[in-house]
Amino acid sequence: MAGMPATTTPALEARGLTVDRRADAGMLRVLDGVDLSVEAGTLTDVVGPSGAGKSTLLLALARLLPDVRGELLLKGEAAAGIDPRAWRVRVAYLPQRSALLPGTVGHNLALPWRLKVRAEVPRPDDAALRAALDRVHLADVALDRDTARLSEGQAARVALLRTVLTRPAVLLLDEPDASLDEESAEQVGLLTREFVDAGGAVVRVRHLRSDGHADRRLRLFAGALTEDVAS
Amino acid sequence: MTAVQLAGGVVAIGWPQLLLASGFVLVTGAIALWMQLGVSKDLAIATVRTYVQLLALGLVLRWAFAADRWWWVVGILAIMTVAAARIILKRAPDAPSGLFLAAVTSMAVTGITVTFAVTGLVIGADPWYSPRYVIPIAGMVLGNSMTGIALSLERVFADLDSRKDEIRAMTALGATPWEAAHPSVRAALRAGLIPAINSMAAAGIVFIPGMMTGQILAGADPLEATKYQIVVMLMVAAAEIVGAALAVLMSYRRRFSADGVYLERGFRE
Repeated sequence: MAGMPATTTPALEARGLTVDRRADAGMLRVLDGVDLSVEAGTLTDVVGPSGAGKSTLLLALARLLPDVRGELLLKGEAAAGIDPRAWRVRVAYLPQRSALLPGTVGHNLALPWRLKVRAEVPRPDDAALRAALDRVHLADVALDRDTARLSEGQAARVALLRTVLTRPAVLLLDEPDASLDEESAEQVGLLTREFVDAGGAVVRVRHLRSDGHADRRLRLFAGALTEDVAS
Repeated sequence: MTAVQLAGGVVAIGWPQLLLASGFVLVTGAIALWMQLGVSKDLAIATVRTYVQLLALGLVLRWAFAADRWWWVVGILAIMTVAAARIILKRAPDAPSGLFLAAVTSMAVTGITVTFAVTGLVIGADPWYSPRYVIPIAGMVLGNSMTGIALSLERVFADLDSRKDEIRAMTALGATPWEAAHPSVRAALRAGLIPAINSMAAAGIVFIPGMMTGQILAGADPLEATKYQIVVMLMVAAAEIVGAALAVLMSYRRRFSADGVYLERGFRE
């Protein structure tokens, strides 16, 4: 198993994750019995060549793929005993692109609390959302700004902030700083690290060189996950 | 005038005149050939089908009106409903499989409620199954709800596919399939209702609607024909929205797995 020796119950654990999908030439095995264990308060980078199945791994961990074989455990509790939507609230996946919906920044930040799954959770008010934006150096972004008018870096930070504000136990980030300018990438890295230091677990798919935030680095190749020898 | 005669206020069209109308098709066919549109064969087949299907319908209606039995009326409506459902599924090739039941159910519920609301409450047909009223009204209801349903089904699945990244982002935040699909469902229902709205907006200014034209040609008072036409147009709008709403609500969930995950192309049956 690729991972650190477990001394406590891992925040998230995967055993034998296998994913097949239909391709032109028949069924294609994207993940082939992947094992993974991530601890709370750690940041794990997953690297690998394009098409190796890195995004598929994150989607499988978030239970956002149909027909995934293998076992998933959240703090030792089997996925079978957790409702898929409740799982996704605790294991939050952030896509690389198109994470924000058409509408304003405020509408997007408050979106999670308009969903049925958080009907009982108090929704942060505008002042709280404003303060959160300021904290990630987005003081110049008004809550009523249309998301279509955000730069790529601003959009990436707003999307990450929204997910972090929902306080998941595990954060799954798909290329969070790919194609961002240096300052935005740095802000995204700092916000991610802040989440980890507060006790969260992060699995991050990246193809860039290390940004110094990761606690370990795994390599996905030919559907299998190994410790990255370069790390 | 030798070939036409007056029959109860209606200028009857004789068989020679009916065949003469084929001349319009010859003109159309000539243009299609000259412009090399590649539709000459389809046009010829469609023309033959128009003659055969409509004359057969005329004979069936003449027989059904004379028979005047409720079970024949219900049987004819059932055949029309199933045929419409099959056409709907052909027009939405990207829709998931297994939608026949949804198409038939939405057509049947729309057909029954709207048709009998009009014949019973507005026209006051007696008996309730009066074939002279029920069959033509049901034909218009089913025909228009078929269009609305086909447009909406085609639109909802195309829109879901175009929003797949957004749907994934919402699902990742804990959205239900309904919450994630809602904008696509709204877009689809709007698309299904647009033909009826356009038709209502243009009626009387751009064109004289078909039913009203038919009644006036058949010798009816224009104001009476207008009243019928208004009922029909409102009925058609209701048929389109009710049919489209039922069909879309019964089918959008098939694009999601049991766990509420949107099924992208590589994961569909």
